[in-house]
Amino acid sequence: MSAPDGLAAAAPGPADLGASDRAEVPVLDVLDLTVGFGPAAKRRSIPLQGIHLQVAASERMALVGESGSGKSLTAAAVLGLLPYGAEVIRGSIRLDGEELIGASERRLRELRGGRMAIMFQNPRASLNPVLTVGGQIAEVIRVHGDAGRKESWTQAVDLLSEMGIPDAGRRAKDYVHQYSGGMAQRAALAMALSCRPDLLIADEPTTGLDATLQQQVLELVVEQVGSRNASLLLITHDIAVARSHCERTTVMYAGRVMESGPTSSVTGSPKNPYTGALLKAFVTVDQRRMYAIGGTVPTLVGELSECAFADRCPLAAAECRDGVPELRPIEDRHVACVKA
Amino acid sequence: MPLAIYIGRRLVFLVVALFGVSLITFVVTRVLPGNPAYLIVGVQADESTVEAVIERLGLDRPIIEQYGHYMRQIFSGDLGDSWRTKNPVTTDIGVRWPATIELASAAAILAVAWSVPFGIVSALRRRSLSDRLANVASGMGVSIPEFWLGIILILVFFFHLDFAPAPIGRSLGTVPPDVTGLYTLDSVIAGDWGALRSALAQLALPAITLAVTTGAPLLRVTRGFMRETMASHHIRSARALGVPERSIVLRHALPNVLLPVSTMAAMMYGYLLGGTVLVEFVFAWPGIGKYAIDSINASDYAPVLAAVLLSACSYIIVYLIMDILHFIIDPRTRT
Repeated sequence: MSAPDGLAAAAPGPADLGASDRAEVPVLDVLDLTVGFGPAAKRRSIPLQGIHLQVAASERMALVGESGSGKSLTAAAVLGLLPYGAEVIRGSIRLDGEELIGASERRLRELRGGRMAIMFQNPRASLNPVLTVGGQIAEVIRVHGDAGRKESWTQAVDLLSEMGIPDAGRRAKDYVHQYSGGMAQRAALAMALSCRPDLLIADEPTTGLDATLQQQVLELVVEQVGSRNASLLLITHDIAVARSHCERTTVMYAGRVMESGPTSSVTGSPKNPYTGALLKAFVTVDQRRMYAIGGTVPTLVGELSECAFADRCPLAAAECRDGVPELRPIEDRHVACVKA
Repeated sequence: MPLAIYIGRRLVFLVVALFGVSLITFVVTRVLPGNPAYLIVGVQADESTVEAVIERLGLDRPIIEQYGHYMRQIFSGDLGDSWRTKNPVTTDIGVRWPATIELASAAAILAVAWSVPFGIVSALRRRSLSDRLANVASGMGVSIPEFWLGIILILVFFFHLDFAPAPIGRSLGTVPPDVTGLYTLDSVIAGDWGALRSALAQLALPAITLAVTTGAPLLRVTRGFMRETMASHHIRSARALGVPERSIVLRHALPNVLLPVSTMAAMMYGYLLGGTVLVEFVFAWPGIGKYAIDSINASDYAPVLAAVLLSACSYIIVYLIMDILHFIIDPRTRT
């Protein structure tokens, strides 16, 4: 693995990665983010290695990958809420140009819920069972502004009704166990958007919801984010969701970015063999047999010195093991593969 | 579900449980060896006298008949007579139970006061000093036998430091006029501060002993629930939206922890109210536990049965009160 300086020279700068056609500073700009677990010894695991990710203003970006590929950990790093034992080894995370790595806890707390917000999967577990739904939303509003109790409550009720919850004035006084899964996710969206963030991270927002509700909730998220001119980082393992809701897609595997670009070209004509394999594994109704990628995900102990997908890749050759492939620009996108 | 139906159902359960407890205790005391007739007439009495006493007490009747007779007695408010003290059991208990209530309440207050805040704080920072201390305290509190701790406390604070008074019951000085039967409360009511000081001094060591041994499991449970809650999805969500740590702990986590912890504390208090046999013995505390043990040693049936029923009753009632409180407090049970 090259040193940060060398990488910065080889890898595309923030201005032309992902947001090449936009002049302004990206809302989210993650550069060479590397996260380690455990003490800084040889055998520490590296679940995220050299992540590059850019989300431009009012852009919808999908972050796609298998379970364990590091999607949610990337989101946790952005929010400054890495789990116990994990730390950022190197790299940079900028929100509207402001560096978050090394920012004070106080500043991060202002930004969380204020300028960047998140909604999680399993919405009913994401709301506190002993506080009213409206009260929880109102608290987030109060924390980030100078609204008083009454005013924040009124705003919370308005938000709930904007998210399509009928009789919001009464339902705001209810508790989460009185909400259905779909309604709870609407409430979680209301809470996340309550302070008009520039970036909404939606971490598998429809997992755990009925199939019929998934589409509705996704459409609501896209619509509400759009009407606020906010950017969306949609974490999903479902390529179909990325296809129908996001302009751009970043594919992750084993803690690295494999390919990133416009959704139509990434999913239409993948340049990275991993993206191709992932698309093949995507089950369609008329398919007779499910395709599975051979082999297993590498263990993430220590920094890798070769392509993470080399062991399972049908195109793997000797040069794939000479070093970690850089994320390099090819046509309209960026690909981390020496064969591309 | 309306509160009235809920309480009604719990009261039915209370009656059923008490029937069960009374039946089991009744059969066990009758089946165990030991003949109370000798207690009444003395071991030297001839056989015909003993036979006569057995017949008078109805001990020659079938056990079911004896039980039926006993239950009829209970429903008329009579718990029988003690053959040992020659008093009605209700009188004996009326004198001794306040002693147990006073000790149990003091111990419960102390136990909750040290273990619950300690559990909360130690759960917040993994591997911090308070976390390690909590580990040691709960481990020792759970494994130390309470009679041993009581003896050690007497040894240190009475014999060596002469800090605590002699462990010989509830009061060394004047007993305040009886209102509630609790010496501490009665001294306050009478405005007798000397008596209050004496009552508190007597209460201190046995209450501390019980607070250590009953607080330790409470500490473990509190810490466990707090850790679990702090790792839950809704806390993660609140944190991810910038809710300050103070509100996370006090407003978001604490109510979720106090609901199960208060149930546990209520169970502990109910258990203490039934008499704390070993500690009452060590400190010569004239409570229900000591009364029950003395009665068992004397094959004195009626007080044993009464003590067991009282213990079961207080346990179930305290638990019921806590349940009703939860029913009112916890939003999840309201709808």
